[in-house]
Amino acid sequence: MKFSVNWLREFVDLPNKIDKLAELLTLGGVEIEAIERRGVNIDKIIVAQITASSQHPNADRLTVCEVNDGSGTKRQIVCGATNYKVGDKVPLALPGAKLPNGLEIKKNTLRGVESEGMLCSAKELGFGEDAAGLLILSLDAKVGASIVDLFPSDTILDVEITPNRGDLLSHYGLAREISALEGQPLRLPVEKLADGAPALQKKGLKIAALHECPFYSARKIDNVKVGPSPAWLRAKIESVGIRSINNIVDISNFVMFELGQPTHAFDVDKLKGGINVRLARDGEKFLALDGKTYSLAPENLVIADDERAVGIGGVMGGEETGVTESTRNVLLESAYFLPASIRRTARNLNLPSDASYRFERGVDPGMILRASQRATELIREIAGGQSAKEIAAAGKLPANHSDVSLSYQKCDQVLGLAIKPKAVDEFLARFGLRKSKSAKTRSTWKIPSYRRDLQRDVDLIEEVVRAHGVQKISGTNRSRFTLSNAADRSHDLESSLRARLAAQGLSEARTSKLTPRTAIAFGEGAIELRNPLSEDHVALRPSLVTGLLGVLDRNMRAGAERVAIFELGRVFVPPAGKEERHLGILLWGNAASAPHWRTRENRQLDFVDLKGTLESLKIPALSFRRGEDVDLALATEILSWNRAIGFAGQLSAQRRSTISAPGGVFFAELEVDPILSSDETTKTFREIEKFPAVTRDIAMIVPEKLSHAEILRLIETVNEPLLESAQLFDLFSGSESSLGPARKSLAYRLTYRDRSRTLTSEEVTAAHAKIRERLQRELGAELRE
Amino acid sequence: MSHPLEQLRESALREIDAAGDAQALEAVRVRYLGRNGSISAWGDRMKTLDPEERPVVGRLLNEVRNAVNAAIGQRAEKSRSQQESDSLAKIDISLPGTPQERGSLHPLTQMLDRGIAIFRRMGFALADGPDIETEWHCFDALNTPRDHPARNEQDTFYLPDGRLLRTHTSTVQIRAMQAAPPPIRVIAPGAAYRRDEVDATHSAQFHQIEGLYIDENVSVADLKGTLEFFTRELFGADTAVRFRPHYFPFTEPSFEIDVRSKALKGGEQWVEVAGSGMVHPAVFEEVNKARGDDAYDPEKWTGFAFGLGMDRLAMILFDIPDIRFFAQNDLRFLRQFA
Repeated sequence: MKFSVNWLREFVDLPNKIDKLAELLTLGGVEIEAIERRGVNIDKIIVAQITASSQHPNADRLTVCEVNDGSGTKRQIVCGATNYKVGDKVPLALPGAKLPNGLEIKKNTLRGVESEGMLCSAKELGFGEDAAGLLILSLDAKVGASIVDLFPSDTILDVEITPNRGDLLSHYGLAREISALEGQPLRLPVEKLADGAPALQKKGLKIAALHECPFYSARKIDNVKVGPSPAWLRAKIESVGIRSINNIVDISNFVMFELGQPTHAFDVDKLKGGINVRLARDGEKFLALDGKTYSLAPENLVIADDERAVGIGGVMGGEETGVTESTRNVLLESAYFLPASIRRTARNLNLPSDASYRFERGVDPGMILRASQRATELIREIAGGQSAKEIAAAGKLPANHSDVSLSYQKCDQVLGLAIKPKAVDEFLARFGLRKSKSAKTRSTWKIPSYRRDLQRDVDLIEEVVRAHGVQKISGTNRSRFTLSNAADRSHDLESSLRARLAAQGLSEARTSKLTPRTAIAFGEGAIELRNPLSEDHVALRPSLVTGLLGVLDRNMRAGAERVAIFELGRVFVPPAGKEERHLGILLWGNAASAPHWRTRENRQLDFVDLKGTLESLKIPALSFRRGEDVDLALATEILSWNRAIGFAGQLSAQRRSTISAPGGVFFAELEVDPILSSDETTKTFREIEKFPAVTRDIAMIVPEKLSHAEILRLIETVNEPLLESAQLFDLFSGSESSLGPARKSLAYRLTYRDRSRTLTSEEVTAAHAKIRERLQRELGAELRE
Repeated sequence: MSHPLEQLRESALREIDAAGDAQALEAVRVRYLGRNGSISAWGDRMKTLDPEERPVVGRLLNEVRNAVNAAIGQRAEKSRSQQESDSLAKIDISLPGTPQERGSLHPLTQMLDRGIAIFRRMGFALADGPDIETEWHCFDALNTPRDHPARNEQDTFYLPDGRLLRTHTSTVQIRAMQAAPPPIRVIAPGAAYRRDEVDATHSAQFHQIEGLYIDENVSVADLKGTLEFFTRELFGADTAVRFRPHYFPFTEPSFEIDVRSKALKGGEQWVEVAGSGMVHPAVFEEVNKARGDDAYDPEKWTGFAFGLGMDRLAMILFDIPDIRFFAQNDLRFLRQFA
């Protein structure tokens, strides 16, 4: 909400400097979002009228103006602007004036022509950004008058009021808070209103929806003269961003911004019968003041006459019964509406208003009739008319909140600070609380009608700390030993996994868990949001693939030649949205990010690279199996202990075409928990081999279809106790050599060792021969010497 | 006059010294010590010597042979090392080394890790909770009224089944209290979601570290000490920290925390980094109801809670101007933080 500092000053003395005020409020919990200085606060700038203008004799871009400054003598000014014409009224800075930008105006000579002052732009006066030309004033402006009268200086505070503090949504309310925070007295020019309040009567008023509208009042004022508002009223409401409509509407708005209570004026002569506050009928149509027709539902509260709704209670009045130039008699509404009801209605109709904003947060029951009285007095004063002696009212004002009891010890304990009970009492009294019961260790407090947010002791403790100043509490250094738990271990393992992947040359990506609609087609579907905000955030990702492909796409477009990335994060498995931690790895492009003098060719990343990365993750009992996947040209399942935990492969050409990636895109995604659980076991020492190993190589030619795994499996089945390991170290296939078609050559290095003694050459030869023989016999391998 | 063997030794040593390469050195060796070498010849000649002269000349022969052999060995060793250093001298040490592909951790990961490390030094354990939450965990249990603006569909993402994406990590407070009685001292890093239009400072998904400490006599002073320590560890010892009273339904009193540090860009401005406060007794009461016991008796236990905006902290610390960089994952961006 916007606050005028001049307006606030009517109720309370403010610190001299605005920055001080801003700090006071900020540290009191009222956040200042912007400070805007308005108007002019400079002496010696007056209204002048241009009476003649001619080209400067020595400068193309300058003109020489003759102006009337009201003194009777013509004044000559050299000017660079071109946006004016003779007869315009403009601001004239006289010699001696000091502009906000620091420029001091002197009588001087510009290119040989004397200039007795300066004609100013809006920017030069310190408001607005318009520096393009002179500020052209209204022709009504009086020549010679000080510009200060035309643009009175004020400071506008844009303040964020938290939703619990509806009582601050008025100048009087904020002034009351300032008075409490700085301990200054509050001036209440409307105090007398309470005394002058007229009697209530019930005639012509009915509340059918007492829950939504506990209290409603209406006062009739006859023979008003609707017209433009006086300048002061207009200036006041315009200063806080409200457009002036006519004197009656302006007064209603003024009272709302002054006291926080929204009121509404009906044209009595357009009402048909008495007022009934009721719930809308289903589908009831209503033409509001904003010119739009709303279709209402029974949860919307309406103010109705005998025939139709004439206002949406607490939200907006009706077009047909609004005050216009022809209005003679008005009915002034001031009421209390249930905050929850107003909030629902304003939201469902998408019709937030200044009034609903206040009713939603709860208005001060103690202000309802005073605001009515204040508005009535202003109407009488400004628009004439006679007000009814009595106010029509129905329902009951909401009762004050129950008293709250506070233990001084609890206050000290929660704040971590010893505050004397006397000081606590004084702080609370400043905020308008009155002590109703008092004991040595605790006291009970009566809560003012405007502070419905104060409900229990901690609420009072907050008032104490706000008044005392939280900056006066020194931070303490307090700790506690805490056992680590599953979340700690999981975090640490995740961190080490991330670090390991980064050390292998992969960059970590973190993509949005909300994915676009186009992504849903990929995979088995996803959980869609009921209320997405944009096409980019429609569903919860069921896998990491779409996000990482998006990253690939973006980087490819940016000219990347190597994209090796991973992501470790949550996915949401449909239909229930089970949250699983997944690891996604994507490889594309060159194996090396830059050419190097020792490498003859920069090969492309491929499936073997992807597999190597997966093998380095220490997945227990890892194996791979050919699989089926419409999106993968080469699909493999990743298994741990023979359970599928993910997939790896090369993206299908069709899938790849959606991101126009040349060459193969290799992608793997797997559950993370099986990897992490293997990391969790504490490693123990195993004795280091003392006796040397003997290695023997086997080179063989086999049919191309025979896999490495089948060869290894055969070597394993020999069950040779001395064999420690078998390592493939060479491979080439038929098409590249003279092997003949559909054949390939493989070479393995076999390592033999006995952990308890040195092997003899004969033993090794015998063992090796056994394996060679089996390979020959069972796989038909052609062994090469 | 010296013995001819001694003359042979002198000439051999001279020639060894003068030998330019391995080949020349070998020629010298053959000439003196080869089968027909001039020193070797003395071996055959021994038989022709007087018996009393033999032992003397024999000793001398051995001596000469050993000396020449040793000189040849030394000369060969010297020449080998010379050769090696000659060839190494040709290596251009300014050539780039074998490249190692270096990956990188996402700046948000780094930020979260830094934050977690600081809190762990203060004795906080970790806690975790799901992104998809019930309305009860996200709002009811956190003392947020039924018709509170945050609950509406304009601000919160809902799933078709009525569950929602948590709007803050404060949900983990509730889960931690449901799971264990006090005392509790945990932090919960994680993602949260708000239905915000995406711009330079807003993202539909963002990251927080939630903190919760419940114990006997926990006070605002403890909250201040904890967050002051955290921000100074993160931004430097001369960081100014400001607590501003604020409003959150689930804490009372509540504070927002601003920091200001010369070490940061725009160091003269206060920057909001966290929300915090003393856990509202209504939250304890709601948790007790769910637990079916009185473990969180608001008269016995007090606690503080806070939520740090990690995207914001990373933007401040790493001087990143736009929150959208985090989700774009441009490698040129990511690698700056390698």
